[in-house]
Amino acid sequence: MANILVCDDDKEIVDAIEIYLLQEGYQVFKAYDGEQAIKVLKENTIHLLIIDVMMPKLDGIHATLKIREYSSIPIIILSAKSEDSDKILGLNIGADDYVTKPFNPLELVARVKSNLRRYTMLGNLNVENNALFQVGGLCINDDTKEVTVDGEAVKLTPIEYNILLLLVKNCGRVFSIDQIYESIWNEEAIGADNTVAVHIRHIREKIEINPKEPRYLKVVWGVGYKIEKQ
Amino acid sequence: MGKDMGNKKKSKSSRGLRGFLHLLQHLLIAVAVVAVLIVTTGSTVVITGLHGNESYSLHASDQEKRYEESELFNTIYGRAVADIIRFGVVRSQLETDAEFDGKKVIDVTAYNYRDIGLPEQYVTARYYLEDLLKWSKYGLEYSESYMTMEQAEEFLGDKTMLTIVDPNSKYYNTSDANYLKSDIGSYTFVDDVSSNMMYTDGDVTEEGYRAILVNRYKTVEGMNLEEYTADWTSYQMLCDNLFMAMDSLSYNYEEYLSYHDYYAADNTNIRYYIEKTVGDHTEYFTNMEDFDFVAMSDEIQDKNMAEFFREQFNGKYDDDTDKYLYYSPSEMIYESNSDIEESTVRNIVQEYDYAFPEDIKIWIAVDTDYPVNDAFTQGLAGFRNYLPYFWQWIALAIAAVVLYLAIVLFLVINTGKEIDEAGKNYTRLSGFDKLPTEIAIIIGGIAACIVCGLSIVLVELYDDILTYEDIYTVWFKAAIGIGVFVIDYVFFFFFYSLVRRIKAKTLWKNSYLKRLVHKISVFTLEVYDNGNIVIRTWVPYIIFLLFNLLMIITGIGIVVAIIVDVLIGIFLYRDVKDRQNIVKGIEKITEGNFSYQIDQNNLHGDNLVLAKSVNSIGNGIKNAVENSMKDERMKADLITNVSHDIKTPLTSIINYVDLIKREEVDNVRVRNYIQVLDEKSQRLKQLTDDLVEASKISSGNIVLQFEKINLTELMNQTIGEFSEKFEQKNLTTVMNVNASNVIIEADSRRIWRVMENLFNNIYKYALEGTRVYVAIGCVQIEGETQERVEISIKNISAMELNCNPQELTERFIRGDESRTTEGSGLGLSIAKNLTEVQNGTFEILLDGDLFKVVMTFPILQTK
Repeated sequence: MANILVCDDDKEIVDAIEIYLLQEGYQVFKAYDGEQAIKVLKENTIHLLIIDVMMPKLDGIHATLKIREYSSIPIIILSAKSEDSDKILGLNIGADDYVTKPFNPLELVARVKSNLRRYTMLGNLNVENNALFQVGGLCINDDTKEVTVDGEAVKLTPIEYNILLLLVKNCGRVFSIDQIYESIWNEEAIGADNTVAVHIRHIREKIEINPKEPRYLKVVWGVGYKIEKQ
Repeated sequence: MGKDMGNKKKSKSSRGLRGFLHLLQHLLIAVAVVAVLIVTTGSTVVITGLHGNESYSLHASDQEKRYEESELFNTIYGRAVADIIRFGVVRSQLETDAEFDGKKVIDVTAYNYRDIGLPEQYVTARYYLEDLLKWSKYGLEYSESYMTMEQAEEFLGDKTMLTIVDPNSKYYNTSDANYLKSDIGSYTFVDDVSSNMMYTDGDVTEEGYRAILVNRYKTVEGMNLEEYTADWTSYQMLCDNLFMAMDSLSYNYEEYLSYHDYYAADNTNIRYYIEKTVGDHTEYFTNMEDFDFVAMSDEIQDKNMAEFFREQFNGKYDDDTDKYLYYSPSEMIYESNSDIEESTVRNIVQEYDYAFPEDIKIWIAVDTDYPVNDAFTQGLAGFRNYLPYFWQWIALAIAAVVLYLAIVLFLVINTGKEIDEAGKNYTRLSGFDKLPTEIAIIIGGIAACIVCGLSIVLVELYDDILTYEDIYTVWFKAAIGIGVFVIDYVFFFFFYSLVRRIKAKTLWKNSYLKRLVHKISVFTLEVYDNGNIVIRTWVPYIIFLLFNLLMIITGIGIVVAIIVDVLIGIFLYRDVKDRQNIVKGIEKITEGNFSYQIDQNNLHGDNLVLAKSVNSIGNGIKNAVENSMKDERMKADLITNVSHDIKTPLTSIINYVDLIKREEVDNVRVRNYIQVLDEKSQRLKQLTDDLVEASKISSGNIVLQFEKINLTELMNQTIGEFSEKFEQKNLTTVMNVNASNVIIEADSRRIWRVMENLFNNIYKYALEGTRVYVAIGCVQIEGETQERVEISIKNISAMELNCNPQELTERFIRGDESRTTEGSGLGLSIAKNLTEVQNGTFEILLDGDLFKVVMTFPILQTK
């Protein structure tokens, strides 16, 4: 199984995360500041790093920067800083994911899994198939009508599937409710209908780790929906 | 430090330079004046002539010439020539055969007519010259006496003795000097005329007072004057002629004496010889006593005069540098080796044509060995002392003046200029400069008076003592130089002080007058500012009226009154203008420009009080607003920091609660406890997030990214998102879109947050099983041009709403006030604030259990 390094100056948080990860069968290494983390990383084979930002000696941002100089392992930043600017900074300097405290342990574990899968499976996909659509960890095989997220199969209703396929095919383009309705139902939209919105919500709940902070199916409020290019 | 020292050194050295220049300036003007003095005195020479000292100019062009060729020599020579010709005239009147002749007979009437010629016939009397001169010294005397007709007739002679000139004679009606002619007797004869025949027409002898001449001396005939005439008119004429002849002769006698002395052979280097022949009588005048002209007379007659003298003179003095002239109009000869021209001599001689007939020979020479000290030797001394470096002295004077002016200019610009420690220029004032201006003026006046007074005293003292020669002395020049130095020093001491005052702007500032004016104005303003309303309005008004009345009554003051009225008009205008500025300031503050300040300068009285009050109100509001803004920002920062600190332990709590949940706990109660812990920790998390969000919005600490938002789309998306939650509570959404596809401008995530909060609110507090109405429509708000879109959301509250609508949007207020349910109580506050920062309006309306939210946004466009 994968080796995961958890780094936070709060020992209890590290211990709690360790419990969850151990339950999932990961081997856990622990560090309590940035320097320790770098040391552990050098001495052991680590597959994923969970790191806090505000730490003594060397903070998470600088540690991430140093690690990125020689390693491309997935890094999840875990921070009490929840501002947009903090998240943008963390992701820009090389982190793969950003989880704010207080976090849902299950969400964290799901994100760990997702990042590991992507890290280990990357490049194994067969992209020659014309019926295969992929956006990041989201994969749609139109031949088999199968949808996988980070390799895990997801069950969708036909309408949900068609909506997702439409959005994935036109990855990055924003579709309004009316447009989606017209292309899926093949009827003229008469507006004032939230059917599409409800379906979208269902799809999000199925393919996203945290539907409120979707990674793939994004809501563009007041405009429509889109699949974010990865 | 080093720089400071440098500056000090520099300023000290420049001060030293200025001190030197001051001294140099005074020296230069003294040098210039002395040089001018030297040039003037060096180019003139003072010569003692007949009438005292006279100054003669030396001409720079003569510098290279010999003295005898110079203009100076010729001037002296010319004057001597004029003198001698004049002397010849006088001599001919007073002398006989070149000797003074007291017994010379003078025909008084003929003498008086010497210039204009004798009339045909005249009454005259003849006196001896010495008698006339003595009588003149004594003066003519008249005695007044009363005479009867008989006495008057008795007093005068029996007959008038007329002298009649022979009309055939050459003397008749000419201006020749008949009285001198020895042969005149043969052309005149005396005729006794009866008193009744001639000269008596209308002259009736009457009785009365008559002026009678006192006969101090008798005539040649030993008679009294009155005996020569028989009528009073002739007697009067005779008296007048006697007086005038006497007066003229005595003047000439004085002149004769001084000429005689001045041009005596022992006193002059001039040698002259004048010979005149009237008829067969020849007279000569000379100062060459060693020649026996009488003896040589025959010889001279035969020879050429000029040649004779040339021989005589050159033989004696053997010096061909001697200057001479020889003039003989009858022979048409003018000969001279000097620069004196013939016309000059001719003009002089013609003035005395009564004394000089055509038969005249004038010879005047100068002995250039100068054996005698006279005008020529004095001239020679001056000429020899003539400034050898004339042009150099002038150049020196000009150079000194130019340099002087340059220094004055430099010092005017630089006086008092100093550099302070900060490297800035400033004007350094001396102790004297710091005195009040008026005192300085008084001291300056006193100094000027002392200098002027001293000069006047010196001039008065030395005016009589000083002679021309003194001016040529060194000590005089030195004294003038020192005097000029002192005057220049004193003048410029005050002048530079004045310049420094002007530069430092203390001329007016540091004067008593300014202080006085200031005090008066302060006093007036004080009275005006502190006086009550009566003093401030009625008193000036009454003064104004009285002043006008007075001025108009007196008539002269109408112009003054008009000027004063115009000034008052200007004052009133400015007063109103000031008030307008205050009103403008109040308007600005009302508009929200709290930092606006009314300019308090130049304001007085009520306006000043008003302006001060408005300014302080503005300041107060400004400070209050700034403080509250600062407080909000600090609060937001504090909340953000605290929330970070809360989040870390909260993370552990949530995690460990979750871990406990995962443990198989059989005890139902414990499971319930854990449930509570779970819920409350989740709520705490929500609370901290909301807190940060709310404080950020209210302190204006957020950055908005405006995009085009389709409201219908947004509402559909929102309803979709909440469909499941609403289903849980059996809530039905009814959407009523009257304006479809309205586009507004908003930050998409923030407007979603507004909707999320509102719908969450409905989810939490709406009565289960009711309908939620959402309506979108356009509205036109009064007073605004832009159309707005209105979104209203209505639902039925599950609980009684016992508070007013405003309170619901205050932080931590919830409709039920119980605080037992989920939520932070910040939802509506955040929604309202976020709506407002996106240019929207947010209003909550309560009607019983009906909870209604109405929002409006400006419409960007309609699809």
